[in-house]
Amino acid sequence: MFNFLSSLRLFYAVCLALAAAFVYQTVFNRGAPVYAAPWFSALGVLLAVNIAACAGRRARTANLQFILVHAGLVLIILGAFASRAFRFEAQLPLRTGTETSLAQAGNALYRLPFSVKLQDFRLEYYREPSGVITVSEDKARREFAAVPGEVIKLPEYGAEIKVLRLLRDFGLSGKDKAADKSPYWHNPAAQLEIKTRGKARTFWFFVNFPGMHRGDLPFGVQYGLRDAEVKNFTSSLLITPAGAGAFTGEVSVNSPLRTGGYTLYQSSYDPADAGYSLLTVARDRGAWLVYLGFGTLLCGILLWLKK
Amino acid sequence: MAKEVVFALNLAFALALFALAASATGWVARAPRIHRAAAAILAASWLALTAGLGLFWVRLGRPPLSNQYESLLALLWFVAPLALYFYRGSRRPEVPAAGALLSVLFFGGAALLDSTVRPLMPALRSNWLIIHVVSSMAAYAAFALAAAAAAWGLFRKEALEEDETELRLVKAGFAFLTLGIATGSVWAESAWGAYWSWDPKETWSLLTWLAYAAALHLRRSGWRGKKFALMLLACFALVMFTYFGVNFLLGGLHSYG
Repeated sequence: MFNFLSSLRLFYAVCLALAAAFVYQTVFNRGAPVYAAPWFSALGVLLAVNIAACAGRRARTANLQFILVHAGLVLIILGAFASRAFRFEAQLPLRTGTETSLAQAGNALYRLPFSVKLQDFRLEYYREPSGVITVSEDKARREFAAVPGEVIKLPEYGAEIKVLRLLRDFGLSGKDKAADKSPYWHNPAAQLEIKTRGKARTFWFFVNFPGMHRGDLPFGVQYGLRDAEVKNFTSSLLITPAGAGAFTGEVSVNSPLRTGGYTLYQSSYDPADAGYSLLTVARDRGAWLVYLGFGTLLCGILLWLKK
Repeated sequence: MAKEVVFALNLAFALALFALAASATGWVARAPRIHRAAAAILAASWLALTAGLGLFWVRLGRPPLSNQYESLLALLWFVAPLALYFYRGSRRPEVPAAGALLSVLFFGGAALLDSTVRPLMPALRSNWLIIHVVSSMAAYAAFALAAAAAAWGLFRKEALEEDETELRLVKAGFAFLTLGIATGSVWAESAWGAYWSWDPKETWSLLTWLAYAAALHLRRSGWRGKKFALMLLACFALVMFTYFGVNFLLGGLHSYG
């Protein structure tokens, strides 16, 4: 039995089985992921046992890099199973000003040992986005910067466009008046007064609806946005652990916040809602074992290369 | 893209073409001196590429590693040094020839990709970007050279017995790939909340890693020469799917490059 478990043939067989599982899952499978299936876990166990047995059989005569590489791999697989058994992950949808200690995972609610209050949510752009008005007819296109108050003269059409107003996130207030719903460039709009053939008409043009007003004018007019790339999004939080003092902290992408064994990650936001932030809260008791495995494996690989 | 960057990259491409032409001439004329000239031209191509990437980095204000086009340039950057290093050790003229051929193919491929410069998305704004992408691209470059040398060996049957160069390239690639997967996992935890999500790119990189691990073990078991060469070609097909196939055919978190 030990000869079988420590054989390279078993290793090749497990590699082929895993390869088949990966190809099936990534290319063909539309149902439940195979990674959760018991047979896949069994393959993982078999691989760990195979590597450990191979290493054990040769341990007496093996060099240090051999031991480190194979021990590292076994640690990684053990850590992966520890994560599976002991990992907690849930979502924390937050609104500015509200405080909660309840996290959601599917239909279940979990009470965390601390409460979280979203004090502020910031969306940062690389540079201030700018509006662009495009005038087109057939294949000819001209672009103009959208600046409130400026008049764009179009002598070839005998027309003029005056930029009356620009909004970042067009919405209608209680009295049907156009106003910014949020500071985000979510539904950018430009109010333009267009004079053609002596007549002046006012239209709203929207970045998200470029086809509007086609047919109303003798030439095409569109409002577009430039430089609207998001740099980062950050939640400012007030965290109150049970029975301890509150503290503030910030979470942004690539900059999670760790507290009481849990980690808060900035997952997402709602472009249509400036007061909303989605955090993920996780606690993984197996991760340290995986990282230890990676470190051991890399040390072994380095020695193996130097040889 | 800035004019001087475009000029430097085009110059690197042209010099790679010259190096390939010189290698072909050296092979037809059976002249070792021409092979050495080809290696020198390949080195010049690499210098132009280095200048181009340096200027690109300065112009962008960040390392040029954020999309498939930029990562392919990083891959290219490793091809010539690896080829020249192993040429110095083995004196096999097909090694710089393989380097020149791969450089030409990858430059050509890069020309087909979208090179539009965009600022980094929030998920990519991390110090892990450099080490993760660079080690992965170094791995792909080493595997590509090993596959090219293996293909050449299969084409010219007598060259197969000496596969030490291919082995050393695969070992280097395997080490870099291990580093790439490890650093990717640590970065994924801080960016996405988990060190492993079975994302298609992650899964295929693991599959590629297992394939090369199997290849290395099979070689120890006696699969040398022609068998090893065929294995390397099969493994490199997996590398290409991991690098390009996943992006174009499958979705996932790794949609950038």
